[in-house]
Amino acid sequence: MMKKHSTLLGILLAMFLLVGSAALSQAAALLADLENALMCKCEDKCGKVLINCTCATSDKTRAEFTKLLDSGLTVDQIIADQVTKHGETVLSAPTKNGFNLTAWVTPFVALLAGGFGLGKIIEAWKRKGSSDNQQVEAEETATPIPSKYSDRLREELDKIES
Amino acid sequence: MNDIGEFILLVALATALYGVVSYVMAINGNRIDLYLSADKTPVIVWGCVVIASIALWRAFLTDDFSLQYVWAYSNRELDTFYKVSSFWGGQKGSLLFWTLILTTYMTVVYFQNRKKNIRVMPYAMTIMLLIVIFFLFLLNFSTNPFERIPLPPEDGRGLNPLLQNYWMVIHPPTLYLGYVGFTVPFAFAMAALISKNLDDGWIRLTRKWTLLAWFFLCMGNLFGASWAYVELGWGGYWAWDPVENAAFMPLLVATAFLHSIQIQEKKDMMKVWNMSLVLLTFVMTIFGTFITRSGLIQSVHTFDEATLGYYFLGFLGVIISICVTMIILRLPLLKSKNELDSFLSRESSFLFNNLVLLGIGFATFWGTIFPIISEAVRGVKITVGPPFYNQVNVPIGLVLLALIGIGPVIAWKRATWSNLKKNFLMPVAAALIAAAVLFPIVPLKERAEIFTYITFILCVFVMTCILKEFFKGALARREQHGGTFIGEVASLTWHNKRRYGGYIVHIGVVLIFAGIAGSQAYGVHDQRHLKIGESIKLRNYTITYEKLNAVEATSVKTRVIAQIGVYRDNQRVWTGRPEKEFYKGQNQPVSEVDVLSTIVEDVYLILADFREDESATIKVYINPMVSWLWTGGWVIAFGTMVCMWPDRLEQRRRLSRMKKQEALFAPAQE
Repeated sequence: MMKKHSTLLGILLAMFLLVGSAALSQAAALLADLENALMCKCEDKCGKVLINCTCATSDKTRAEFTKLLDSGLTVDQIIADQVTKHGETVLSAPTKNGFNLTAWVTPFVALLAGGFGLGKIIEAWKRKGSSDNQQVEAEETATPIPSKYSDRLREELDKIES
Repeated sequence: MNDIGEFILLVALATALYGVVSYVMAINGNRIDLYLSADKTPVIVWGCVVIASIALWRAFLTDDFSLQYVWAYSNRELDTFYKVSSFWGGQKGSLLFWTLILTTYMTVVYFQNRKKNIRVMPYAMTIMLLIVIFFLFLLNFSTNPFERIPLPPEDGRGLNPLLQNYWMVIHPPTLYLGYVGFTVPFAFAMAALISKNLDDGWIRLTRKWTLLAWFFLCMGNLFGASWAYVELGWGGYWAWDPVENAAFMPLLVATAFLHSIQIQEKKDMMKVWNMSLVLLTFVMTIFGTFITRSGLIQSVHTFDEATLGYYFLGFLGVIISICVTMIILRLPLLKSKNELDSFLSRESSFLFNNLVLLGIGFATFWGTIFPIISEAVRGVKITVGPPFYNQVNVPIGLVLLALIGIGPVIAWKRATWSNLKKNFLMPVAAALIAAAVLFPIVPLKERAEIFTYITFILCVFVMTCILKEFFKGALARREQHGGTFIGEVASLTWHNKRRYGGYIVHIGVVLIFAGIAGSQAYGVHDQRHLKIGESIKLRNYTITYEKLNAVEATSVKTRVIAQIGVYRDNQRVWTGRPEKEFYKGQNQPVSEVDVLSTIVEDVYLILADFREDESATIKVYINPMVSWLWTGGWVIAFGTMVCMWPDRLEQRRRLSRMKKQEALFAPAQE
């Protein structure tokens, strides 16, 4: 009976630890999401993403975010609150809507346009290369005859045919 | 000595101005007397800048706080080592240091070429002197390092504690050697454009200079990453900070140039493109300087008194205008054959490599300037930080990684199906095996993990491509000469330094890619407030906080050191001693991390905080594969050395190519 109880207790404890550690790691992941999404707003204007910052302000901010997460606020709600307080500059990257979308799209558009342009250029150079090659081949196969000789040859052939 | 330093900078400016005027008059009037007179000015200007630099160093070493700059960046307690490096710790001194490197390069170029390349040298020297004049103007009239304090204080303010690190002694000079080095190819390119000597001569003259500058810039970036890793205490090494980006962009453009000049050398193509790239590289170095010294963009790296924005903006504008005008004016002379046999050729892959490199460069540039654009368009200032660069540059970087493998192996002119099969069968098979082996091992849930998985597969593909080249070449040599395999690999590299040196550089790049991928995706960290004897468990490590010591290191510096026992699988493997340093007169203490670095992973310890009861907040990072990054850097350094090593065989090959060309041209000239 005693053994059964201790086994049950062990299982319960293990389950509690598992659930506890999962909750802890989830909280850490949420905090990491916040730290990645927001900049440090210290007085020194260090310009670092919160996750990379080691100043006293960043430690205070982390503690504050942990409390807010514990109180049931979501990551998005905390981010929205920070934007209201500090403006868009608190975000570590531009939002993906409105004018800010151009920040995300432009590099890929430029790359695609460059790729398309490069493809066209290579195609043109390829055509030029093959037409030049054909010309060289034609020049190599045909016997070069000076024009005065070719004129005379044509006259002689005309005479024979007539 | 300070008076001499101040005066000699004026003499340098006057001499440089005289040099430019005399060179221009000598070229226009074909006057040999003026040319001979102007030809002495580069060395005189260099001599003047050396004397001014010695004067400033002397002021630092003798604690001469009558100079405002010495007062602001040094104090009596500062180590001599750091007093030497304080020279470039602030805006004024770093500009003088820049000018010192620039004039030293100019003098080396002068002695190297004055007798050999008489047709372009006056032009190149004029360009370099004009750039020197800009910096001397700033030093004399805007940021004079010899500015006095009327009543000299007893002691100085001291050097920023973050800069008191050995990497900060090496990092800025290396970066400057790279930045400033690109002035030489720029000067020769402009000289070729102005003098209309647009054959391959300017490329031959500048290839090694470009490689040298590229090497220093590459190393400078890596040293900067090392500094950030050990000094900033956030567990990372690259934060996509605007100033880091400013040093990264010229590196990308220069890499594109170093690849595309091979096509010009082999096929006499892409003259306009190569000229544009070399000019753009220099423009990017000036843009980087503008970012650092303008105060326009917020960064941890910008100088305190960032007031030179308008000067650099003006300089940048002038340079861009001149470059664009000269290219347009010389377009007819820069026309080349530009023919390609196939899409599937090494030429095409080099072109795509250029596109991708410039694509990453553009994305980085765009991200750097987007806050300014946003403010101008919407009136709202925003931040563009690491999440942007990681999301945009990582996919493009993977394409680049694939091209590193494809480029050197694919055939010149036209790759047929059979040689594609021959060259790529083994690398593709190796990549597929790697994919199958890694699939069940590595986590693949998050975006970063998926990208890392792809990176590892591509790394295997590229490494197999490169090693196969070495293997194939060494085997062929062994059949001919019968030596040992290792001996033949060395001999192969020695006899084809450019090609195999380049492959070694690529191996270094692959290691860097792997290191970045591994450390970004699989790193974990934890932070706990611990009492003595308590532990943190992270992966298979147990990190036990053992004791706290306070040490009065100097009269201005106190060190608080935590002793931490690190156990792996219950075996003590290391004792870490992270610390906090408190400097007199500084608000924030500085974290000195301690790192146990192995080939697999780094255990990275930070003393984040401590209390009077000797409890402390310890932050632990387990960063996998970071050492691969630094190893990759040293491999790149070795490969670049091999590439730059004087190669008599290559010179002979070039000579015979030129002779053949002469023979080819002979009938045409008749």
